[in-house]
Amino acid sequence: MVNLEDLKKETKKILEEERVKYIIGYKRGSNGLMPVPTFIKNPEDVEKLIWDPACVYNLTRFLVDEKRRKAKEKKPDERAVGLIVKGCDSRALNVLLQEKFINRDDVYIIGVSCENTGVVDEKKLAKKLKGKKILKIEYSKKDNFVTTTEDGKTEISAQEILAERCLECRASFPVVYDVLLGEKAKRKLDNPFKSLENVEHLSKEERWAFWKEQFDKCIRCYACRSVCPMCYCEECVVDTINYAVAADTTAEEKAQRIKWIEKSPVASENIIYHLVRAIHLVGRCIDCGECERVCPLDIPIRLLNKKLEKEARELFGYEAGLDPDQVSLISSFKDEDPDDFII
Amino acid sequence: MAEEFEPKIVAFLCKWCSSAGSDLAGVTRMEYPYNVVPITVMCSGSVSPLYIFSAFKTGADGVLVSGCHPGDCHYIKGNFYTRRRIAMVKKLLEYIGLEPQRFQVSWVSAAEGTKYTQIIKDIVKELKPLGPQTKLRRIP
Repeated sequence: MVNLEDLKKETKKILEEERVKYIIGYKRGSNGLMPVPTFIKNPEDVEKLIWDPACVYNLTRFLVDEKRRKAKEKKPDERAVGLIVKGCDSRALNVLLQEKFINRDDVYIIGVSCENTGVVDEKKLAKKLKGKKILKIEYSKKDNFVTTTEDGKTEISAQEILAERCLECRASFPVVYDVLLGEKAKRKLDNPFKSLENVEHLSKEERWAFWKEQFDKCIRCYACRSVCPMCYCEECVVDTINYAVAADTTAEEKAQRIKWIEKSPVASENIIYHLVRAIHLVGRCIDCGECERVCPLDIPIRLLNKKLEKEARELFGYEAGLDPDQVSLISSFKDEDPDDFII
Repeated sequence: MAEEFEPKIVAFLCKWCSSAGSDLAGVTRMEYPYNVVPITVMCSGSVSPLYIFSAFKTGADGVLVSGCHPGDCHYIKGNFYTRRRIAMVKKLLEYIGLEPQRFQVSWVSAAEGTKYTQIIKDIVKELKPLGPQTKLRRIP
């Protein structure tokens, strides 16, 4: 169990030593249970920091924003950024390091281990407590969660309210860090791709019906894209309008730009968007599950990524995010790669 | 009698092998179905998954990606990258419920005009009973 006091002490120390510009962590939100990300510059403010099972967000995404901000500054502060990461977030960081999007020196990583538990699923928790307002949730000693509502404290088994991705997490501790809090617990995991089974067992037509219904719902708010630490392209394929339009760009040039995907949220366009998104995350997605969590229409986006993660593992023995020095999946090959599908 | 369904196949052929193979089939006057729309690309490795999705969206009933045999790539290893990437695309399309016959990959060398005609014949034969591809097609 990560001791919050240790976390505060550690962050306070590096802030006082002025090794980092600021620290990105979690603080109590104004709306009860869910915390909000916070940026701490002053050592006095570390008291605001919290760490509990509701700290679901993947803070790695802020490094992408930080890099962009830094590029615009005339005299950027060259110090590192402190970042609090869980196991999944650290894998995301590893992929960013692998792709050389960020330098290892630019980030000071404070790893917190989830040990045998993980973070909660807000919806599961609300269902479990039948809509009662939750004031606080804590880790208990026996790898369970203790929730505090207006009626008092209740202990809930972690398995019941853990987020799906945590139930299938293979490394619940940070794989890259400068400081580690908590222990590297190896947890028992029977099937890391359990959530896929429901869809994989369906027949082809049923699978199509399932995905068609899901993609139909999409309103193309791009929340999944905004929250994903891997979606850092300067120009996204769906926003062709973002191509540099200068004063001398002729109307003809603009007209000839290929519009791969229409903006209208109709099923056929949504499908292409989601397929492209899934393919762009092949061998990069580290299953932090943020895309699915932020989706306002509850599209199981994670199942797409998870499927490709499974295939990459089975076909090519590739796992994303465990080693920043490995060559990425689709920029490498082996002679013995499967080719049974090729005529 | 209703007219028989004729599938439309978009074929991405690499310039150095498969495109030359289809040329060979042409100049030696081999007969093969006219359902295929060939698009020459510089290398099968340059076929972005987006091309494939886009082909399906804009009305293709089937898509074929064809390149050089492994080891014969003009760019030394382009087709090895294709093999990995396309494997993932194929899995993804099957996962969302597209018929696996609709998306095919082949290796055709410049000397294999006969193999090329045979591939096209086979694909057309497989696609005819499936009927038009409506799953990914754009709704007008």
